Amino acid sequence: MRCFLEVLQSSIAKKISVALAGILLVGFLVLHLAGNLFLLAGPQAFNGYAKHLADNPILPAAEILLAALFMWHIAAALVARVQNRKARPQGYENQRAKGGRTWGSRSMTVTALFLLAFLIIHLKSFRFAANRSDLYALVMKDFQNKYYVGFYVLAMGALALHLSHGIQSAFQTFGINHPRYTPWIKRAGVAVAIVLAAGFAFLPVWALVTGGAR
Amino acid sequence: MSASGEAMNFTLKVWRQKSAKDAGRFASYEVSGVSGDMSFLEMLDLLNERLIAKGEEPVAFDHDCREGICGMCSLVINGQAHGPERNTTTCQLYMRRFKSGETIIVEPFRARAFPAIRDLAVDRSAFDRITAAGGFISTNTGSAPEANSVPVAKPKAEAAMDAAACIGCGACVAACPNAAAMLFVAAKVSHLSLLPQGLPERERRVLAMRKAMDAEGFGNCSNEYECEAACPKGISVSNIARLNREYARAALFFSDHLESGSS
Amino acid sequence: MTLDSRVPSGPIEKKWDKHRFDLKLVNPANKRKFDILVVGTGLAGSSAAASLAQLGYNVKVFCLQDSPRRAHSIAAQGGINAAKNYPNDGDSVWRLFYDTVKGGDFRSREANVYRLAQISSSIIDQCVALGVPFAREYGGLLANRSFGGAQVSRTFYARGQTGQQLLLGAYSALMRQVGLGKVQMFTRREMLDLVVADGAARGIICRNLVTGELESYAGHAVLLCTGGYGNMFYLSTNAASGNVTATWRAYKRGAYFANPCFTQIHPTCIPVTGEHQSKLTLMSESLRNDGRVWVPKKKGDARAPESIPEAERDYYLERKYPSFGNLVPRDVASRNAKQVIDEGRGVGTTKLAVYLDFADAIKRMGESAIREKYGNLFDMYQHITGENPYKTPMRIYPAVHYTMGGLWVDYNLMTTVPGLFCLGEANFSDHGSNRLGASALMQGLADGYFVIPYTLGGYLTRGSLPKTGTDHPAFRQAENNARGRIDKILSVGGKSSPGSFHKKLGAIMWDYCGMSRSETGLRKALAEIPKLREEFWGSVSVPGGGEEFNQNLERAGRVADFLEFSELVVKDALERRESCGGHFREEYQTPDNEAKRDDANFSHVAAWRYQGAGAEPELCKEPLAFENVHLAQRSYV
Ligand SMILES: Cc1cc2nc3c(=O)[nH]c(=O)nc-3n(C[C@H](O)[C@H](O)[C@H](O)COP(=O)(O)OP(=O)(O)OC[C@H]3O[C@@H](n4cnc5c(N)ncnc54)[C@H](O)[C@@H]3O)c2cc1C
Ligand code: HEM
Ligand code: HEM
Ligand code: SF4
Ligand code: F3S
Ligand code: FES
Repeated sequence: MRCFLEVLQSSIAKKISVALAGILLVGFLVLHLAGNLFLLAGPQAFNGYAKHLADNPILPAAEILLAALFMWHIAAALVARVQNRKARPQGYENQRAKGGRTWGSRSMTVTALFLLAFLIIHLKSFRFAANRSDLYALVMKDFQNKYYVGFYVLAMGALALHLSHGIQSAFQTFGINHPRYTPWIKRAGVAVAIVLAAGFAFLPVWALVTGGAR
Repeated sequence: MSASGEAMNFTLKVWRQKSAKDAGRFASYEVSGVSGDMSFLEMLDLLNERLIAKGEEPVAFDHDCREGICGMCSLVINGQAHGPERNTTTCQLYMRRFKSGETIIVEPFRARAFPAIRDLAVDRSAFDRITAAGGFISTNTGSAPEANSVPVAKPKAEAAMDAAACIGCGACVAACPNAAAMLFVAAKVSHLSLLPQGLPERERRVLAMRKAMDAEGFGNCSNEYECEAACPKGISVSNIARLNREYARAALFFSDHLESGSS
Repeated sequence: MTLDSRVPSGPIEKKWDKHRFDLKLVNPANKRKFDILVVGTGLAGSSAAASLAQLGYNVKVFCLQDSPRRAHSIAAQGGINAAKNYPNDGDSVWRLFYDTVKGGDFRSREANVYRLAQISSSIIDQCVALGVPFAREYGGLLANRSFGGAQVSRTFYARGQTGQQLLLGAYSALMRQVGLGKVQMFTRREMLDLVVADGAARGIICRNLVTGELESYAGHAVLLCTGGYGNMFYLSTNAASGNVTATWRAYKRGAYFANPCFTQIHPTCIPVTGEHQSKLTLMSESLRNDGRVWVPKKKGDARAPESIPEAERDYYLERKYPSFGNLVPRDVASRNAKQVIDEGRGVGTTKLAVYLDFADAIKRMGESAIREKYGNLFDMYQHITGENPYKTPMRIYPAVHYTMGGLWVDYNLMTTVPGLFCLGEANFSDHGSNRLGASALMQGLADGYFVIPYTLGGYLTRGSLPKTGTDHPAFRQAENNARGRIDKILSVGGKSSPGSFHKKLGAIMWDYCGMSRSETGLRKALAEIPKLREEFWGSVSVPGGGEEFNQNLERAGRVADFLEFSELVVKDALERRESCGGHFREEYQTPDNEAKRDDANFSHVAAWRYQGAGAEPELCKEPLAFENVHLAQRSYV
């Protein structure tokens, strides 16, 4: 109980919880990308994978956990951002960085909101679609719309930026900082961000260009 | 050689605010005849001397030691806390760093937790309150053991000294996009938790200082690292990592019960 | 009027122990009934306030800055002495005592100095326990270095930031008491008057620097820990807020001012670059270990230093003091620099500098060795001057650094006003006419941590003090006095800034009462200061009002006090017809230009008593006896 209160009230606990959720979400994205790569193998493979997942008895629990992670991550992070705005009621004429910030860190709020929009649309079109019997067809149909694909690619740009800051940031938040390893953590974070985003962005582009497997 | 020979001219856009209640605005001043060997504050002295000669009110700004150690000077110069140079306080920033003819914007450190006093001077007493909450080792005068009875490994002592070099200027807050005070608090927590003398109060200290910090209305850290870049003493953000660690450790495992049981 | 120093009887080693036993103790339950006012939060004030609060007293603390941590003690670089004898090189309490008395050129009170040396060890213990990160050896134990020409290594240091770290230790102890509610902290307050009621110090009048309001605070004792008055010279290594106001107002309320002319000049500062200069930055004396001081032999030689051949350079310290060379004491090095500059042989654009050359050291040890030893100092120099000292010689010049003079105090650190104590640089106590390097920090902390907690109790148990609140008429009178002065400043409405008068006063003091003094010069100063003072009151300009944050008004008040005080300094210098330590009278020197003391006539503390506006102050003397250290003449040739 004290722990929970502390998380709600404490800036540092809040930030650790956001980072924890964020890193678990990165874990989800890795799995999700791996699953989505079945699209390349055609409808049987992909739908089989989807069915396999759906039949798994722990899926509902996993989905609830996932939803909770997303919601906590988003809610706590946005609360923090609102508090941060209040912490400087009068802004500077022209604040200039002195070398700490990166493109990723600067754009965190924007990429976060973009990702939120993406998630809503994404879940609506796939997770909460009316008919999910042929998931492969559903996905492929949407990916024939070049605007929809364009939006996905943009969203993955946002994801890359978000994670380019987010992954190394989470390490710092967990207290992992060492002159020898931190430079590598930073580089690895950016690499993971790019690989994930590129993998996700590849699928809709591939679908649009080739019209699907086979 | 320095640019001391040629006199320089600047247009200053300075924040003027009569008191905390006043809204404040920018005022423009032309300052001519500036030497490259002047510090930024000496350039403001020059402006003030001229304002006084005209019977106008001089620009208020905090300063004291003028050698980069007291932490009294502040200023956000062209959007950067303590100006463009790294590891430098405003009092140690020399005008040779600027180009004649430049327009220089001078603002106070801005944060809700640093309320305005007048013009460029703000109230940084929030830092004192955070320190009063836990930034100390409770040793009463006279009760100290012989100084060499507790050895401290040199690398630890050096790291403690690195953190202890903080001058409490508040530039970390001013530069942080979130107006967070993490670097200041982290420096103190690190300094004291790195030394064996500070260990008995390790958990209490970090919990109390975190609480006091949040109560002052500073923002949340999102690892922007601008604090480190603006810090005149080069305090590293690795101290913030240590603060996070110390905090997590204390929040998860520290028990009040053990404490109160004995008192 | 005779001055009673209240030095306990008995052998010098036993005096302090005996005294502590003789002092009556305040009943622990009664301590919280006493309100103690501490003005100043440097090493002396912070350590005193923390220690007293911890004993149970109610403490109110005041300082000028926005935080107690910013007192100018923060700027001390070199280190703090203590007779720990860790290096096993022959140090002892007795040797530290001896060195301090001798270094002070026999113008300090033996008993005080001995106590200081005795206490020195506990200071280090206390500081380490508070988390001061002193330099250490690989084995984890404390490191020492030799400092300021001492023959033993007894200086403890924390990089080049010893004062900062010691102050942060004392500050943290103070803030802990603030957190516990035993200390009430009042920042951005300037003490403008002392309240003396029924013959004892019972309160102070402060100006709240943010709102401009005058505030009265009552207490059972007042501790002045307000630092030195070196700022009188305008250019010094002191902070901008340094002042004599608090002690000067106390002087006017009956506290005697002792040895005001004892000021210390530090030989290695970064020189003045121009009119705009507001402050001089000290560079560690350790530079003289490897740097060679020289000027061109020819007057007005404007060539770049590199193009002046060896034969045309005058390494004047090595020439005049073959055995000590560049390592002569502070006052000797400073005076010689002034001498060659007065001869027209100064260097740099202002001609107010001499060279400190590392070319030979770099040739001998290599640039990297020099970088390792002095890297941060070289960087600092380059940062400030824009010149690279690895390539071209540094330019240095002496600057005012410390003031040995201050309010006269007895062995209990009490002034001539009962209940008014004075600690740290603000008192005159332990350094005689010259302070040794790394001894001021030691004294400030000794006074605050280990002396005042005992002696204050002794005063409070002396007799019962009447109940005196801020409604006492003495408070009203003092408040009106302070308000009158502020109104007077604001009403002048002239054209010149307070800073411009400060600058002019500084020039007079530096020229006539600085590194060397002469009867004619001092008389000249005595004629010019009142003129300048008159000019100030006729034409000072302070825009804005009194009921607001007005830094210019603060400055004007401090300058006004310097304009009065400086006259006393000059009088004291004139009166002391001898040379000793930092006080060099040109008429009194040995054939080899050394300070020549006159022990028969001047082995005393000169304490000045205020006799009212316009009246000549009275000179009172506390004779000094040297029973343990034998009087000797310094010689460095
Ligand atoms: C650059 C430099 C380097 C030095 N290096 C060394 C060294 O290496 N070793 C060494 O031993 N000594 C050194 N010294 C000397 C030493 O630092 C000082 O003598 C000592 O720190 C003085 O401490 P203090 O507590 O007496 O006063 P300070 O630290 O000067 O504090 C004065 C306090 O009084 C307050 N105050 C003043 N006037 C008023 C007023 N009117 N009303 C209210 N508050 C007031 C101020 O706000 C401040 O809090 C150095 C000094 C300088 C300037
Ligand atoms: C796609 C899934 C997402 C992943 C994998 C992810 C991951 C991360 C990570 C690892 C961090 C760093 C946390 C820290 O160190 O403090 C982070 C921060 C952040 N995330 Fe996300 N995030 C995702 C989606 C979102 C969404 C949808 C939003 C909001 C709408 C969001 C908002 C934020 C914000 C605002 C931060 C900065 C938090 C701070 O102030 O420190 N994220 N994210
Ligand atoms: C191009 C890439 C992507 C494709 C093809 C894709 C495809 C899908 C599909 C088909 C589903 C429905 C799964 C099911 O109901 O079994 C789904 C669910 C989901 N997707 Fe994606 N997705 C992509 C990218 C992303 C990204 C980048 C995110 C996160 C930011 C994301 C987050 C989710 C979430 C949270 C769910 C719901 C999971 C669940 O309820 O089990 N997806 N995705
Ligand atoms: S951490 Fe750096 S920027 Fe922040 S208060 Fe300390 S010295 Fe100033
Ligand atoms: S800039 Fe601010 S966000 Fe954190 S790392 Fe520094 S406090
Ligand atoms: S004035 Fe002291 S740090 Fe700048």
